[in-house]
Amino acid sequence: MSDETLLRVRGVTTVFDTPQGRLTAVDGVSFDLGAHESLGVVGESGSGKTVLSRTIMGLQPRRGVAVTGSVRLNGTEVVGASEEAKRELWGRQVAMVFQDPMTSLNPVVKVGKQIDEVLRVRLGMDRAAARARAIELLEMVGIPAAATRYGAYPHSLSGGMRQRVVVAIALAGSPQLLLADEPTTGLDVTIQAQILNLLDEVQGRLGMSMILVTHDLGVVATRTSRLVVMYAGRVVETGTTRDVFARHRMPYTRALLESSPKISNPSHTRLAAIPGRPPNLLDLPAGCAFAPRCAYATDRCRSERPVLEPADEPGHLFACFNPLPVAAGGPS
Amino acid sequence: MTEPLLSVRGLSVTFGPRSRRVSAVDGVSFDVAAGETLGLVGESGCGKSTTGRALMRIVEPTAGTVSLEGADLTAASGRALRERRTAMQMIFQDPISSLNPRRRARDIVAEPLDCWKRAAGEERRRIVDGLLAQVGIDPVAYGDRYARQFSGGQCQRISIARALAMRPKLLICDEVVSALDVSVQAQILNLLEDLKAEYGLTLLFIAHDLAVVKNISDRVAVMYLGRLCEIGPADALYDAPAHPYTTFLLGAALEADPEAPRRGEVLEGEPPSPLDPPSGCRFRTRCPYATERCATETPELREVARGHQVACHFPLTITRRGGAPD
Amino acid sequence: MSSSLELAELVEEVTEEPDGRRLGVLFWVCVGWLALNLLAALLANVLPLPNPLTQNYNAVNAGPSLHHLFGTDDLGRDIFSRVVFGSRVSIEAGLGSMLIGFGVGAPLGMLAAYRRGRLDQVLTVVMYVVLAFPAIIATIAILSFWTPRTLLKIIIVIGVAAIPLVYRVIRTATLAVATQDYVVAAKVQGASDTRILVRELLPNVAPIAVSFLLIGVATVVTLEGSLAFLGLSVAPPTPSWGNMINESRTILQLNPWLALFPAAAMCLFLLALNFIGDRLRTHFDVSEGKL
Repeated sequence: MSDETLLRVRGVTTVFDTPQGRLTAVDGVSFDLGAHESLGVVGESGSGKTVLSRTIMGLQPRRGVAVTGSVRLNGTEVVGASEEAKRELWGRQVAMVFQDPMTSLNPVVKVGKQIDEVLRVRLGMDRAAARARAIELLEMVGIPAAATRYGAYPHSLSGGMRQRVVVAIALAGSPQLLLADEPTTGLDVTIQAQILNLLDEVQGRLGMSMILVTHDLGVVATRTSRLVVMYAGRVVETGTTRDVFARHRMPYTRALLESSPKISNPSHTRLAAIPGRPPNLLDLPAGCAFAPRCAYATDRCRSERPVLEPADEPGHLFACFNPLPVAAGGPS
Repeated sequence: MTEPLLSVRGLSVTFGPRSRRVSAVDGVSFDVAAGETLGLVGESGCGKSTTGRALMRIVEPTAGTVSLEGADLTAASGRALRERRTAMQMIFQDPISSLNPRRRARDIVAEPLDCWKRAAGEERRRIVDGLLAQVGIDPVAYGDRYARQFSGGQCQRISIARALAMRPKLLICDEVVSALDVSVQAQILNLLEDLKAEYGLTLLFIAHDLAVVKNISDRVAVMYLGRLCEIGPADALYDAPAHPYTTFLLGAALEADPEAPRRGEVLEGEPPSPLDPPSGCRFRTRCPYATERCATETPELREVARGHQVACHFPLTITRRGGAPD
Repeated sequence: MSSSLELAELVEEVTEEPDGRRLGVLFWVCVGWLALNLLAALLANVLPLPNPLTQNYNAVNAGPSLHHLFGTDDLGRDIFSRVVFGSRVSIEAGLGSMLIGFGVGAPLGMLAAYRRGRLDQVLTVVMYVVLAFPAIIATIAILSFWTPRTLLKIIIVIGVAAIPLVYRVIRTATLAVATQDYVVAAKVQGASDTRILVRELLPNVAPIAVSFLLIGVATVVTLEGSLAFLGLSVAPPTPSWGNMINESRTILQLNPWLALFPAAAMCLFLLALNFIGDRLRTHFDVSEGKL
């Protein structure tokens, strides 16, 4: 872990007021992110990973959301910050790459202009300098014939190219933190590899920190140094990527790892499916949210909520009353 | 070899007016033996889903034949087509839009029976409840719920029950798990394996996820830009891919293992437009091994190992493969 | 905003119980009001109302009283009775013309959207040609020459003019449904076209059709009022809300009751229709309902 902390998240809780009742999408999440570090946030739908990333960004729908806790980015508090203060952060301190490149680009504005805008509004560049820099950025994200593509509209680009443009826009303000929310979901395998390599490369080259939010363990396995595993809005396990994969203690982490098929296994390998489905956030069980699906659950799990406690390795935490023995957590 | 259950010969599908003709599927031929699972894998736009839909004649093939147990489906029409087609059933990618939100689970599963007046009253109820129970939906508690009240995984289970109602021989699964959470995905894959054994089903499993396809398939076919590149036994094809495209595809796949070595090099660029596909081999524009011959002569499928066919003039051998995945 | 979209996904993911959304008290008040209107129109002959055509020169332009609830007009006719009888014209015109509009437009729209291809192209072009005529002017022109004007003729003219509008709305609604996988699924199970249209498409198009029907009725009621104001509706002395407002024009200062009550009746009727239509649309919209 690096010495300086860029992002400090403490007890972040995001509650939505819905017609069906109060919905706690993120529940008391805390972690630190060092400079130049890459962190993976992994979870299934309803785990709160996307809401968490939006909370870190300070993106909230206007009504019916209550955020408590603290998100400090380079010492600046994001929770409760004014729109104006947040606008100062966006682009220059933190930028986001969304899942769907089609909806995160304005369809009626040329892609070059969309990069220009960030440069001119955020960095106060003049027209000519912004244009030159935009083309440079397009080249950096691997768009061939960048000068020509500068004048292209999003619809004339393929999905992979569009996501490269989104990355270019995110990089325009030279942010210190890049938040990528499912950046490759919906892209083809070979394009996904290209985009992930690109993110890797620019992160190293520009010395950014990165948070990679995904449901796909394959995406984070070799590209992040630390992992946060989320379930029902809470962190259930966190540690170095290696420790989480090889020495996980929380049964949910293991279930997640073992339920996804692997290319290295022979065909017709029986999958260890987790029974049931992700919990209803409006009607969470009293104890551990994973207890109803867990093979090791006891009465205590059903009545009392486990909190994060340290494992043997430094920085490795898990929330479970009946943790797996270390030996059982080997990669399958 | 016994006669295959499904035999596809020279299947082609084109879309659009003459000036903007898209060749979505071009001369695809393969067989599926009774009781086996054939995986059809490829990236978006490769024509794998169109192939599945053309088999069912949801889209009309422009050329080629599809025969099921020796009977030509492409020649049938009207009621005969509708009746014969019930021997094949299809499950779709989007579990929510696969079910009419305004109908109840029981009625959805009973729909095929009602269409063909196969069962009524007590018997209909017995069959439907049996099917629901088999796919893991409690018919007593949930049978009368509306489709819109179910989650994605539950909807997919109901879709499977509906597909099984007519006791089909062939089940075409089009990206059936790609919209589901990992934990639910495993449940559905296991369910399909169980039902296949119980009903003696034959599966055509279309998906983009290489690990999912390998897990469920006996044989795997790889498509690129409307054509078949390679087809062979699942384990053999993944261990020793013979087509350069397959190699790249497998190299790009992400393994959920931090210790896994970064495999192979990444395929550069993107597939060309199906509006104007390259001459000869359609992969030649991105293939590092392409030569003159690849531009002029379309490679035909030929056998490189027992049951393993590849459409490439220069199939990869063990020595040629070098840095590629092993 | 994208973050509210996220909320929708979140809620949808966890919604399992049937949505207990309620239509609300106001909805039922509106339904009650409409029912009262319809009942009164239907039973106008049996209700203890004075004859709406009987003139009484002893009580001309009288204000509301116990004897004449809404007062009387310049010929001494009971306004309350005329408002009730007048509602018949409005309601008949509204329902009648929508019956024609939906009877022809809805099946054609569904068929065109389901079948697509040549049938769709031809029908859509025909409908757009009809739509291109300025409907109001055409209606006025036809009604000016097609005399003597009767309610039936007015219903036919407005009904025909409504066909392309209904066609367009229903076609669009059906298109959205017809591309869903469950329609394809029904097809591959061997369901016939008729079965798919009735079982899969109709239930999903019906809520949109019903709310459009209600708003259509409201529009026609207004249209009839406008025509009456131009003297192009049913001939006097038959009362209609529009006719009554028209007649009040010259003596508005003398007898404001004559305009007020039919206008208020019409206004409340329209409000109720529009409110019900709108509420029903959101209530039955499966996707929107979860927001």
